[in-house]
Amino acid sequence: MDFGRSPDEEAFADEVRRFLAEHPPERFPLDGVDAGYGSGAHSHAFMRALGERGWLAMCWPEAFGGQARPMFLKLVLLEELALAGAPFGPLAGSWQTADAIIAYGTERLRRELLPAIARGEATFWQGYSEPDAGSDLLALTTEAKRDGEHWIIRGHKIWSSHAGVSTHGLVFTRTSREARRSRGFSMFVVPSTTPGMDIRPIRSLTGDIYHYEVFLDEVRVPADLMLGPEGEGFVALLNGLDSDRFWGRFYKAPALLRVLRRLVDYANTTVVAGAPLARDPVVRRRLAAMAAEIAALRLLFYRAACLLRDGAPITYETAVAKVYADETGQKLARLGLELLGPWGVLRRGSRAARLDGDIAHAYLTSLGHTIAGGTAEVLRTTVAVRGLGLPAEPKAR
Amino acid sequence: MDFRPSSAQQMLVATAREVLRKECPPELVQRLALDPRGFDDTLWRRLAELGWPGLLIPPEHGGSGGSLLDVILLVEEIGRAGLPGPFVTSAVAGTTAVLAAAEADARRRLLPALATGERLVTLAVLESSASFDVDAVALAGAVPGRLTGSKLFVPDAHVAHDAIVAVREQGDVSLLLLPLDRAGLARLPLDTMSGEKLFELTLDGVAVSADDRLGRAGEGRRPLAAALTAGALARTAEMVGAAQRVLELAVEHARTRVQGGRPIGGHQAIQHACADLVRDVDAARGLLYAAAWRVAEGLAAEADVAMAKAYAGEACLAVARRGHQIFGAIGYCEEHPLHLLHKRIHAASLDFGDTPLHLETVARAIGLA
Repeated sequence: MDFGRSPDEEAFADEVRRFLAEHPPERFPLDGVDAGYGSGAHSHAFMRALGERGWLAMCWPEAFGGQARPMFLKLVLLEELALAGAPFGPLAGSWQTADAIIAYGTERLRRELLPAIARGEATFWQGYSEPDAGSDLLALTTEAKRDGEHWIIRGHKIWSSHAGVSTHGLVFTRTSREARRSRGFSMFVVPSTTPGMDIRPIRSLTGDIYHYEVFLDEVRVPADLMLGPEGEGFVALLNGLDSDRFWGRFYKAPALLRVLRRLVDYANTTVVAGAPLARDPVVRRRLAAMAAEIAALRLLFYRAACLLRDGAPITYETAVAKVYADETGQKLARLGLELLGPWGVLRRGSRAARLDGDIAHAYLTSLGHTIAGGTAEVLRTTVAVRGLGLPAEPKAR
Repeated sequence: MDFRPSSAQQMLVATAREVLRKECPPELVQRLALDPRGFDDTLWRRLAELGWPGLLIPPEHGGSGGSLLDVILLVEEIGRAGLPGPFVTSAVAGTTAVLAAAEADARRRLLPALATGERLVTLAVLESSASFDVDAVALAGAVPGRLTGSKLFVPDAHVAHDAIVAVREQGDVSLLLLPLDRAGLARLPLDTMSGEKLFELTLDGVAVSADDRLGRAGEGRRPLAAALTAGALARTAEMVGAAQRVLELAVEHARTRVQGGRPIGGHQAIQHACADLVRDVDAARGLLYAAAWRVAEGLAAEADVAMAKAYAGEACLAVARRGHQIFGAIGYCEEHPLHLLHKRIHAASLDFGDTPLHLETVARAIGLA
């Protein structure tokens, strides 16, 4: 066993911290809101800066323009960025898309998209959910029909994060009707500017625009923008879900640690009834218990990371980690709001706001986290059925 | 980062699991739970043959020179089997105190018999304040002189040969190693909900001399802290192991118990409860291993140990309580193993510092003023 960072990882962490000191994250212009997952806002400028350092492609094979560095450096980068509150919203999605393209992308995707990802120019939205296909993704009705060298997509996607500010959509479609419900799905990488796509913002309960719905009306997509084998999209997606849950939440623990540190600082410097809040034993215990939870969360993700690195089978580990990340985040946001009392609800920019109004934002955004990317209920079922071997509930056909 | 135990550690765990499956079956655990001594001499000798009491002791004193991480992995299996007895008390906490405090001749005198399991030591730290904070030690010790007072919640004193007694001397803490048959010492049993064997140790003018010292006068703080750290981690391992067992039993029950024509584990309410068992056990185990690794590597680990113990105390108790709900009425029976595991977890959560004590350590570590 080894629970420390290797010398290489430590040296890389130093390099990232130097980069962040030289390029303070708050100076980068933002294109899309921070949805509270821990990866900060969507910022093309920040992604380009990461690209200039060579960090976006550092773990790709050399044949694809990468440096074949160990996967764990990505974890170091994510941790350091999250601890600094940097706006790297699209990063994990870019990495995952690149990994899929490297694994089974067409020549065209490799030639055109990988360099754009490496430079931090291409960012991606997911066109998975539909109005009537949420937890039951297979109920989707968006269809792609072959037309010579093109596919023509027609349908309606929803809850696509940052679709209005990303360059490409990953659009999950039905390409044929098969006897098995899980067959006949295919994924396309569709440039957001393709004619026939109408990308409309949905205002969230935070008052911000994060989600979009996308209407696809006769959208013509070249056949070599299909990602993965035709009709096997759902299998690829399912296999990808474990890494989706992982890369979509890995940075939550360091991001929560950053919030915790701000709350500790707040408790130390805020006097209530003549004594610092930090002297209240209840406050001390609750913040300390959160610190332990966040440390446990980080280790759950690192354990999953070791399995991914070693190519070991994953049955439930990323599902457990995701649920834990989201519920711990909700708990910390609740605690933060309680500590701040009436100040907690003041939004960023408000007169008298404290901690930049970030706690109110964290509280509101955290409500969506146990829903997005697999609800806590679906994931608990996954843990029970796939991880523990409990009998699955009868499925709809 | 690497979560895999070494091949030697895997071997240790596999052996422990197999031995405990054979020689510490649930029937024996049930019998010991009702036995006033709660101790099986034959089984203890068997564990001693395997070298378990000597795991932490260097080879030159008859042990195998293992690390605290090795011991933690072993104790996790002990917790999983529900093996009662003085292993953590003597072979982990007591032995750590001796290793940390004793000077060369005392090491030569004490360690070989501890390694073979022939000699058992207990720790007498707590007093009426019931606090594992080292500063709470108040029993006045004058050496040479006579000790009068009492120590509380002393574990396994009925089978131990000696007690390591923490006393206050000139404003600091000293450790004494007192044979439990010394005149003036009495062991009065406390009747616990868990069945753990705890005693009040009363000292009525007990004569002590410089020969009874374990380490130098006023230098007991560091070895006592080392013993408490080792004990806290071992008790955490016991909780994690017991919670793992609850998880296994509950999942097995959910899979096989049929109501309304289908296994209860086919219902989401039970599935989700089982998923939460996994989460709690895995999370507690991660903190445990990381903390034990830091201790074994000689890194600063005070906050890590405190987090692991505090976290496991809450998480593993939640596992036990949820286990009762999954099992329904059968889990309420004396003959069912669930309550023993639950009570063990509860007892362990209090030992070597309860959750509030460890959370206070964490609170300081995260910078709360």
